[in-house]
Formats: sequence, structure tokens, C-alpha cells
Amino acid sequence: MPTILSWLNVKRSGGGWGTTPLKNAAAVDTDLLILLSETGFTIEARRLQFDLSILAKHIPFLLEGTWLTFKVCLISVIGSLVLGLLVAAARTSSSTFLNRLSAVYVDMFRNIPFIVQLFFFYFGLPEIGIYIDALSTGIIALSIAGGAFTSDVIRSGILAIEPGVIEAAQVSGLKRATIFRRIALPIALRTSVRPLGSVFINLILTSSVLSTITLNELTGSAKIVASQTFRPFEVYFVLLVAYAALTWSVSIVIGALHRHLNRNQAEGVA
Amino acid sequence: MISITGLHKSFGSATVLRGIDLEISQGEVVSVLGSSGSGKSTLIRCINGLEKIDGGRVTVDGFDVSKPRELADARKRSGTVFQLFNLYPHMTAVQNIALAPVEVLNVPRKDAEAEARRLLQQVGLSERADAYPAQLSGGQRQRVGICRALAMKPSYLLLDEVTSALDPEMTAEVLSILANIAKQGTTMVFVTHEIEFARSISTRIAFLDKGQMIADLPTEDFFSDKGMAMPRVAQFLSKMRKD
Repeated sequence: MPTILSWLNVKRSGGGWGTTPLKNAAAVDTDLLILLSETGFTIEARRLQFDLSILAKHIPFLLEGTWLTFKVCLISVIGSLVLGLLVAAARTSSSTFLNRLSAVYVDMFRNIPFIVQLFFFYFGLPEIGIYIDALSTGIIALSIAGGAFTSDVIRSGILAIEPGVIEAAQVSGLKRATIFRRIALPIALRTSVRPLGSVFINLILTSSVLSTITLNELTGSAKIVASQTFRPFEVYFVLLVAYAALTWSVSIVIGALHRHLNRNQAEGVA
Repeated sequence: MISITGLHKSFGSATVLRGIDLEISQGEVVSVLGSSGSGKSTLIRCINGLEKIDGGRVTVDGFDVSKPRELADARKRSGTVFQLFNLYPHMTAVQNIALAPVEVLNVPRKDAEAEARRLLQQVGLSERADAYPAQLSGGQRQRVGICRALAMKPSYLLLDEVTSALDPEMTAEVLSILANIAKQGTTMVFVTHEIEFARSISTRIAFLDKGQMIADLPTEDFFSDKGMAMPRVAQFLSKMRKD
């Protein structure tokens, strides 16, 4: 780690964070020489260093955080999908009660900042005797919040279906549940899969907020590493690459799924 | 028997059907004619329960379509073919046809699919059995639509302007299939603008005008002096023939 050592040397020899005698710097590292001038600041030079190797010993810890994020997001995506399907079914059902109930749920959770929902679950509920651990709180909160968005996407997909297709299913005697499962949902998913992907990506990004309730997922563990190493630049650089990789892989899966579901639609007349 | 008595239907302030009486017995082919907006399609949609009726009574083999408990039985007895085909876009032709027999009649999937292929063969589509609707031409889609209705072995086939969305060539291919079905003795209610075809396959003609049935005659009478004696019918026929 030549750059770190050189910086430490510079700092020591310079006797502080202020201006540094050029000759001292030059004595230890030529890289720094370029960055420093007669009136240069060592702090400026320090910032331009980029050395990921200092993170090496923190990799297992960061990987643990990544794994936790992955786990939380996977369960929450499934949770919000299941919830979204149920709520979409309720919102498109013929029951006025279910319609209203589900509409209230969607409006409520879409219109409250996620961090407020999370604090309410984690810090508020214990006041009335409901204790849920941080991990479960995170998964539940993400699933509920994600479910509101998911249900809305699926619902609009269902409403976009040609009414005649549903009528054809009705007159052939299919039950409502069968029509929903075999006709409405598969057709709605074909158009909804991309917006659903956006919802899920948003969910992954939102999961970083869970670090505020003591959950050391990717962001939480990165914060710890940053404070231990005093190298926020490197740490958060790795963090943003990690999130980009996570969400990018979701986009790829969603894109493939979209193509798969729509594989027979684009072709011309035979 | 399909029995319609005093049927009223309105959409908001627009009254579409004003007291329709019509009985259709097994083996009949009844064509329902009339100008656009006369209520022909609404009549069909009242028979298969897609529209809530506002007055009167519609029964299919005695099952009242306005009673939710009887609607399922009424629907099992009739099959509908739509103007815009309304095929399930995510299913192949065979899957479109086999879905209801499997789900509603509990036919084993294998048998239902074999039957679907047999029906497709009858309408000359055996090679397109595994194609999706988007891969079929309009005429082919409508032939699948007809097979889908027939797969439920309905006593009554309701046809709602089934050729209106097709070009003349495709219309001809669909009509020839319908003529075959009519010959096999399937009861049909045929809402159409194809006057000459209606004349060739129907046993009876019902003529709707502004929501009222102003003529219900055997086909030969409708197209002879009896029909022509009615000014509205005469006007309609002369206009349609000119087109």
C-alpha cells in the first residue's frame, strides 16, 4: 500500500493537515509529487487516492451485508408480489368492501415515506407491546410498501385487457377465480412485467433504508466499514457498484422474462 | 329452447331493447337482421348473460339468465362467437379451445386437446393448431373462435356479427364453415349483416328496428311479398342490396 504509507509520511513530516514541504513528499512518493505543488494541500492529495486494497480484510463483512440485502430483497419481492396479486384481485373484484379496503391500503402505503413506515413498525409498535425484530420488521415493511405499488401495476395490467377476452371466458362458463388465474393474470403480467421490474428495483434501493433500524445489510455494513477505515470514498464507491450490480441483474432477468412472456405476440400473420 | 319475453334493456337514458319476444327451438337457424344500433348485438348479449336485463325474462332450456345461480347452467347450453374473436392471446389455438371443456366440463386435458385438434381439422386449421392468435389471420382466428364455442357442445350457438371484422375472402371462408355447422343441425342465433347468407342458411328471420322486433317470419316469407309488405323491411333490404 505505497500510497497510504506515503500519505502518512507526508502528514507526519509535514506536521499537520496544512501545506506540506514539497521535498518531504517527493522523498517518499513520486505519485504524490505530481499532485502536490508548492502551495498544495495534502488533504487534496489524500482525496485523489484510490486504493481498494484497504478494503480486503473487510470483504467478508461486506459480503455478509450483501447476502443480508439479497435475502431481505428476495423475500420482500416475493412478499410484495403475493400481496400485490391478492390486492389486485381484491381491487378488480365485484365486492365493494374489498374494493374500498384494498384502495385504502394502496393509497396509504404509497403516500407515506418508507422510512416513516419503518420507524412506526420498529420504534412505534413496541410502545403498544408489539415487538418485532429488525430483520422481520424490514421484510414486513418492504413487503407491505412494495405490495402497494405491485398491486397497482398488476391492477392496471388487468384493466388494460380487452374486455371482450374476459367476456369470452365468462360466457364459456369459467368461474371468476379461474378467469383471474388462467386469463386475466397471465395477460396482465405480459404487460406488467416491466413496470413490476421497476417496482422491484425500487424495493432493492429502498432496502438501504433498513440500515436505520440497526440492520447491517449492505448499506449498514458499508457505513461501519467506512467509519472503521476512514475511507468513505472507496467504501461508498464499492457500495454504489454493488447496488448497481444488484439492480442491473434484476433488469436483465425482467427483460428476459418480458421477452419470454411476449414471445408469441410480435410476429406477423402467418 | 331459448325463450325471450318482454325483454327490455337500456344503457343509461338510451333504451336499446323495448319489449322483445322471441322463441328459438332446437334445430332452428334464426337470423337476426336490422340496421346498426337496432339492438341486435345487445339481444345476443342478453341471452348469454353479458348484459343485465332491465325487464322481461330470458331463459335457456328453462334456466333464467338473470338469476346468478341459473346463469352458469344457461351458459353451459350456449356458445358464443364474437365479432372481434376475443381469443385468449396467451394461449395457442388448441389451448383456447380446450380450456373451458377442461375447467368447466372436467374433461381430461388429453381428451379435450384431442377434440380441439379434431375441431380444428374440420375447419381446415389442423396445421395451425399450435399457433398463437397473433400468428393467425383474421379468418383463421374466427375459425378458432367457432371451434372454441363448439368445443363446449352447446345446444345453441350465438353468433354476434362474426364476419364484420373480416375482408370478403375471409368472410367467405368463415361463412362456409357456418353453413356446414347449420347443416349438422346445430341451433343457431345469427346476428348478421350478410343478408344473402342469412337467407341461405336460416329457417327464420327476426327483424329488429329501434329496439323492437317488427318482423319474425320464416325465411321464405321474409324475403317474399310478406316481408316486402312491411315498409321498414323493404327499405332495409333494398338499401342492403344496393350496398
